Amino acid sequence: MTLKKPSSKFIVIAALLIVFSSKIAFGGGFPLRPGRLIISSSVSYFFANSKWDTAGYKVAFPNNGKFSSYSYALYAEYGISRRFSLVASVPYLVNTYSETNYLSVNSGVGDLETGIRYYIGNINFRSYFTIQATVISPLYTNLNLGYGLTGGEIKLSYGGGGHLFGCNSYYVIENAVRQYFGSSGPLQYRYNASYGLSLDKKFRNQISVAFSGFYSTSNNKQFNILNPINNKDFAFNQLSASYGHAFGKNLSLILTGGHFITGRNTGDGLTASGALIYRIDYR
Amino acid sequence: MNLQKSGLNKFDKPEVKTFKNLKTFIIGIALLASHHTMLAQSKVKSTDEDAQGEITTALITHSSDGIFSSTASFTFEVKNTYRKVETGKVSYLVTDQRNKKITSDSVMVKIGARGSDSYRFSVPKLATGFYKINFMINVNDYDDTTKRDFGIRPSEITSSYPRPTDFDSFWQTAKDELAKVKPEYKITEKPELEKLNRRVYQVEMKSLGNIIIRGWLTEPATKSKNKKFPVLLGLPGYQVTIAPIMGEDDDLAIFTVDTRGQGLSKDVIDTRRDDFIVYNLEDKNKYVMRGVIMDCIRSIDFIFSRPELRHDNILVSGGSMGGFLTIATAGLDKRVTICSAQNPIMSDIYNLEGEVEWPLNTIKKFVKVKPGLTYKKVLDNLQYYDCKNFATTIKCSTLVGIGLLDPYVPPNNAFVVYNNIPAKKKIMVFKNLAHEVDVKYKQYEALWMNDTFALF
Repeated sequence: MTLKKPSSKFIVIAALLIVFSSKIAFGGGFPLRPGRLIISSSVSYFFANSKWDTAGYKVAFPNNGKFSSYSYALYAEYGISRRFSLVASVPYLVNTYSETNYLSVNSGVGDLETGIRYYIGNINFRSYFTIQATVISPLYTNLNLGYGLTGGEIKLSYGGGGHLFGCNSYYVIENAVRQYFGSSGPLQYRYNASYGLSLDKKFRNQISVAFSGFYSTSNNKQFNILNPINNKDFAFNQLSASYGHAFGKNLSLILTGGHFITGRNTGDGLTASGALIYRIDYR
Repeated sequence: MNLQKSGLNKFDKPEVKTFKNLKTFIIGIALLASHHTMLAQSKVKSTDEDAQGEITTALITHSSDGIFSSTASFTFEVKNTYRKVETGKVSYLVTDQRNKKITSDSVMVKIGARGSDSYRFSVPKLATGFYKINFMINVNDYDDTTKRDFGIRPSEITSSYPRPTDFDSFWQTAKDELAKVKPEYKITEKPELEKLNRRVYQVEMKSLGNIIIRGWLTEPATKSKNKKFPVLLGLPGYQVTIAPIMGEDDDLAIFTVDTRGQGLSKDVIDTRRDDFIVYNLEDKNKYVMRGVIMDCIRSIDFIFSRPELRHDNILVSGGSMGGFLTIATAGLDKRVTICSAQNPIMSDIYNLEGEVEWPLNTIKKFVKVKPGLTYKKVLDNLQYYDCKNFATTIKCSTLVGIGLLDPYVPPNNAFVVYNNIPAKKKIMVFKNLAHEVDVKYKQYEALWMNDTFALF
């Protein structure tokens, strides 16, 4: 008796892994490999000329009022071990409010956020759970740039990959609770669910859609027209869509547009952003 | 007359078989297996409207991997497209892995014209182990048998044959001998073979007995001097020549080795294909597998000699003989980080008797031509090469894949090996496969490796 040919064929194949199968898609919430540094430089734009009042009705800003905010942000994430990665971000804000015969511009560095992410576990290596603890430290005294309060956040993320219509896909679900400390420091609940598709096998082009929201409570119920995104007691839901393009293995660009779909005591916002992401492996 | 089908389906689905005008064909085959005759018979019958139709069957095992905790259950589905009632019997026969009858049952069936029916069978009160089950259908116009295997509480399966008491010292001696051989590594880049941004090197080194072995190392091309790659060490199947493994991957180096007597490493040992498994088997200290296993250890030595390879991220993987070598290497060498063995041969060797033909028939032929050598002596020698005995010292996470219909690695034997592994482990059982694993195994293996090596 000899081993039949089919066995030989198997043996050759079996000696190999499907090593060239795709890695998991990039996205918030996934663990980061040790020694990898991700740096993102982004610009975000927010615009509103109307607001949702406390009852959830849309109301135009008075006197042809318009609010816009540019945020130039640096974000960095570094994998320090299989389980842990460090994250940090800092924005530079330019907030502008104008109405007939009135203009207010506030600019400066915003809140520094530093955190540590822990890779909790996975389900069959296809979906991942991470938890992140973040400290929010204000780097300004001008309260039109933010709350000016120290805060803390715990974020639980679940993300994974799959296939749809022959394309690689990924999904991320994030839930975060943030508490700003102080007499009227808001307690905030953030959530985000996004789903993305890679349009080619080499992950050169990706599209994604996301549903996200914010629910913030505070004993300070005021609406700050000079900076609607600085309110403390508000809620909104947003839909957004993104397109990502990789220029190579280490550089990619993500463009995102979104619109608030429901709100309470917040601006009726339109958002747009562009992020350039660079990754370096030190290991 | 029973027409037997092997039922070795590649895909994990209920098997559906179709024979049109089966009895017509049987008559043709019985008289003269002539194509023309069969055609003639078929044409004659095709004029008979009652004879036009088919019987199709499907067997559903009520367990995704064919494993049950107590009572095994199956559903046998029959579809009749003849314009007449089909009557007869559906039955099953359960045997152990050595074909000894355990139990059987049958049910009389009457399937209406253009009708269908299904029959659920439960097989209770079986002892721990794996069983063969044959489902037979015998009706007016159709006879067929569908074969499957299933297991009852396989995590309780153990071997009645102990590990040789000097097993560890036997292999320590071999490793000590290997350590005295200077490897004299030679690594030669082969630009003509390079593609997909991957460098290819032919590797040569000396192993036990100063025998030269060769392999292929492929690495992602990188400009970074500090880059260190996790490694896949691919171990070869029986008498297979390894080729360099290419592909677009930025993270993984792949080293595949032709152990002695295989592929590019036949300078000293160059046997006929069938003879390799018994080469020097009369002496456990000279048996070819002693050197082959040391060649695998030497391959780990080679990985450790390379500064661009990560020495703490080594996956050893292989199928068939490669699966056996994977278990042996991981059992003997604690430098292996994780290992993946598919369909490992040489598993629980004493208990292969009566269950497999290969390699026992080759061994028996070998004994016949060796004066003074006995079959028992050879099996005793093989205890030092039994997968189950290497498994007991594996410390790394281990993935094992088996097919329940494997003619070389019966599931009882595979589970003896698996159950002997004291480390973190997982087994993937493919109920409808033979000496192979499903692509799902390979996908899982890659994801598992990526996670373990933090290649997120």
